[in-house]
Amino acid sequence: MKFPIFKIWDVKKKNRFFDKLTYTGLLIPTILSASFVVLIILFITERGVAPFLPSQYGDLSVNFLRFMTGTTWYISPNIYGIFFIVINTLYVVFLSALLAVPVSVFTALFIAKMTPKPISGFFQTVVELLAAIPSIVFGVFGLGVITDVVKKIATVFGMQTAGGISALSTVLVLAIMIMPTVTLLSITAIKAVNRDMENNSLALGATKIQTLFKVTLVSAKSGIFAGIILGIGRALGEATAVSMVAGNAGTGPDFNIFNTTRTLTSTMLLGLKETTGLDYDIRFSVGVVLIIVIIVTNLLLNAAKKRIGKFS
Amino acid sequence: MKSRKRFITDKIYQSLITLISLIGLVILIAVFVFVFNKGSSLLSWDLLTGDYYSTVYDGYYDSELTTNLFVAPDDLDSDTYFSTRWGIALKDDLDREGHDYILIVYVDTESPLANLPDKNNEGEMVYMASGQSLDKIIFSDNTIMLSSKGAEAAISQFESATGIKDIMFTTAGKGIRGSLITTMYLIILTLIVALPIGILTAIYLHEFAPKNNKLVNILRRMVEMLTGVPSIIFGLLGAAVFIPIVSTVTGTEGGNLISGSLTLAVIILPVIISSTEETLKTIPDEYRQASLALGATKSQTTFKVILKSSAPGILSAVLLSIGRIIGESAALIYAIGTSIKDEIIVTERSTSLAVHIWSVMSGETPNFELASAISIIILLVVFVMNLSVKMIVKKISY
Amino acid sequence: MENAFTINQLNLKYGEKKALDQITMDIPKNQITALIGPSGCGKSTLLRTLNRMNDLIDNVRIDGDIRYEEQDIFAKEYDVINLRTKVGMVFQKPNPFPMSIFDNIAYGPRCQGIKDRKVLQEIVERSLINAALYDEVKDRLKESAKELSGGQQQRLCIARAIAMEPDVILMDEPTSALDPIATAKIEDLILELKKKYTIVIVTHNMQQAARISDNTAFLLMGELIEYDKTDIIFSNPKETKTEEYITGRFG
Repeated sequence: MKFPIFKIWDVKKKNRFFDKLTYTGLLIPTILSASFVVLIILFITERGVAPFLPSQYGDLSVNFLRFMTGTTWYISPNIYGIFFIVINTLYVVFLSALLAVPVSVFTALFIAKMTPKPISGFFQTVVELLAAIPSIVFGVFGLGVITDVVKKIATVFGMQTAGGISALSTVLVLAIMIMPTVTLLSITAIKAVNRDMENNSLALGATKIQTLFKVTLVSAKSGIFAGIILGIGRALGEATAVSMVAGNAGTGPDFNIFNTTRTLTSTMLLGLKETTGLDYDIRFSVGVVLIIVIIVTNLLLNAAKKRIGKFS
Repeated sequence: MKSRKRFITDKIYQSLITLISLIGLVILIAVFVFVFNKGSSLLSWDLLTGDYYSTVYDGYYDSELTTNLFVAPDDLDSDTYFSTRWGIALKDDLDREGHDYILIVYVDTESPLANLPDKNNEGEMVYMASGQSLDKIIFSDNTIMLSSKGAEAAISQFESATGIKDIMFTTAGKGIRGSLITTMYLIILTLIVALPIGILTAIYLHEFAPKNNKLVNILRRMVEMLTGVPSIIFGLLGAAVFIPIVSTVTGTEGGNLISGSLTLAVIILPVIISSTEETLKTIPDEYRQASLALGATKSQTTFKVILKSSAPGILSAVLLSIGRIIGESAALIYAIGTSIKDEIIVTERSTSLAVHIWSVMSGETPNFELASAISIIILLVVFVMNLSVKMIVKKISY
Repeated sequence: MENAFTINQLNLKYGEKKALDQITMDIPKNQITALIGPSGCGKSTLLRTLNRMNDLIDNVRIDGDIRYEEQDIFAKEYDVINLRTKVGMVFQKPNPFPMSIFDNIAYGPRCQGIKDRKVLQEIVERSLINAALYDEVKDRLKESAKELSGGQQQRLCIARAIAMEPDVILMDEPTSALDPIATAKIEDLILELKKKYTIVIVTHNMQQAARISDNTAFLLMGELIEYDKTDIIFSNPKETKTEEYITGRFG
């Protein structure tokens, strides 16, 4: 029994039309998805540029040069300075990376190369769970535990802190938050290293540790570095947890880790409940600076990664 | 000799690495312990269903008091005081600021106090219940009971009273029902927006897009760039773009749940797109070939065969997204706001669980207990989501 | 004798690599034509041009023509999807869709718009009977196709292809992934199917070609070395290369 011929033909035409429709139809959500990046850049820049334009704010507009070079965040009514905040942010992120990277790499080595499957699976789950903890919870933890720890450390050094709220707390919290990212990516990089190379090293009489450090880590270098870049990117953008333990110092830059500090993100969140007008819009300007800092840092680090890669 | 020294050095290094690797585990446990410690005492059904804002009620009782005596239930603490004539148990307690107040521990269902006429609203009733605080009573013989006198004194006044002109009590606040409902609304609305857009984008990029096409590569690159954007920037996007749009459409001022959902949708969009694409990659090409060889069109192949097989992968994406939505704070602070509400309306603002934590932690007296209690809930959900995804992934690879 | 396909000077290139070189042959109706040759000789490629599955690969360049039902299937206006409903294909590895047995077979007709439950049931039953699978699965049509054994899955794929009521069934090494018993069952089935359909089968198993096919084409490095009735190819081949391949000197 053949299908009635005319029926097939109708359906075929419909199918073909539907196919073309689907193709165009699928393009729309794709373009939409791709457009958000553009929207972000456009609209945030638009709002962020406004405080500097006399056409928007008249006499109350902010002086751009003072903004970019200032060492005090806010002097009423319209003097804002962001320079020291950028320095503080980079300082705090750099320190947290300094702390987190060794711990992450060692943990990755441990999980990937030094433990049998069930144990390494357990520890990997531990790291994945840490990665899943939202930043607000780290903020609560930071305010509740980390600040106490910092208070104790401060007394050991004979320093004063504002109840533990300090740059050091920020560094510790950030280190905890980027450790899972760097660890997970390092695990992937380390696992991808050629087993034969490692076996060769052992066969030449090297110890396990020598092999791990001289062969495995060296080969996994670029993957690990990629993880570090990702982690640093996240640290730069981390807002909630940081704003809870940083303290929002008004001036700077300040390199004393026991003093309060301020990051670009904490500036954006501080006092958001009661703001309108210029104080609200200036946060968009800070946002623009944040985006620029992240992009520039990424470019610089990626360039460094390429150069290191050349030497392997 | 030399090799023995090397052997020992090796072992030392290995132990060092092992110790350092334990730091992660220690931190995870520390977070859990801290949060459970501070917050578990607060976890209760009342917390989940209660209002955040307390209400003060005024009632009175001028009917006949029954001669039946009430019996105290067995599970009362030793420091509770019970009134046999009114069927109510009171206890002294300290509030978070350290002030004394009288806590109502138990109200018998038959107690006259369980249903009182409302002094302020003719014809309405008010209800006393455990968890509330007893503020002030003016008895019918004009004696006054003040909460500062303590529970024991209050109970003896109850025992000798025959009627009540005015009894003031305050409901326990600090409930998170509003934020709980808000979070659920946000999850549903966000998924409704982001799932179709994300899945269709992934389908286009993987199944339909011409390969090695410059424009397609640009689109793909632009989608990938979204993954590196910090949440607070998405919050700015929400404030700059979605709030104005939603304001003009719904007529509300400022942010609301819709602008929040739209912002969250952009945040989880890259998660959905990459998860779906990964799943599509695992579907064997033979299915596509067999389908086309049977005379199906490309769209029929995609929607009837491929999409069905992608279901577990898409489910993983949904679970991961729920975990992300529940934990998101910075973006929503900008895209909605930080006002805690008990009545949740989609076109108005309120807080998600995470933002609720932010709200009670910022300010002069951070409420660690409430923040920790909510954190427990958030952590449980996030962990369940993550572990479920792991199980799904294991199942797929069989 | 009518021909299902007339192939004329067919050339096919993957990028720079030439996969088919000046192939000219006719494929008779209602007979089994086998394509044999060593790995990489182009037999699968040739098979896939017959239902234009090669279109799915990038960088493919084809010239020459293939006529099906008097029409050049490479013509611009030619309806490829229609072609595939009339020229079915069974692949090397059994690949039922992750659906029930019923849905697998009903898939093709459903795509063509058949929705009537009764019609679909008839089609599924008929296809399963003709694929010699009905008795084994008639009580579990709603179960997942993945639960069947390898041999059953392949018969399911054949049933799936038959459900479209094609004129031709192309088979790309259909038994190479199966055990000998399943292979024997499918070979019997193919001989039965010949009565209603034209069959073109690619096989690297010469004995299989000798057992079941009416005509055999021997390909080597993209060229059609010899094409004749199976008896002749296997007992009295005209070309030396054919003889060398048959007797196992290479391949």
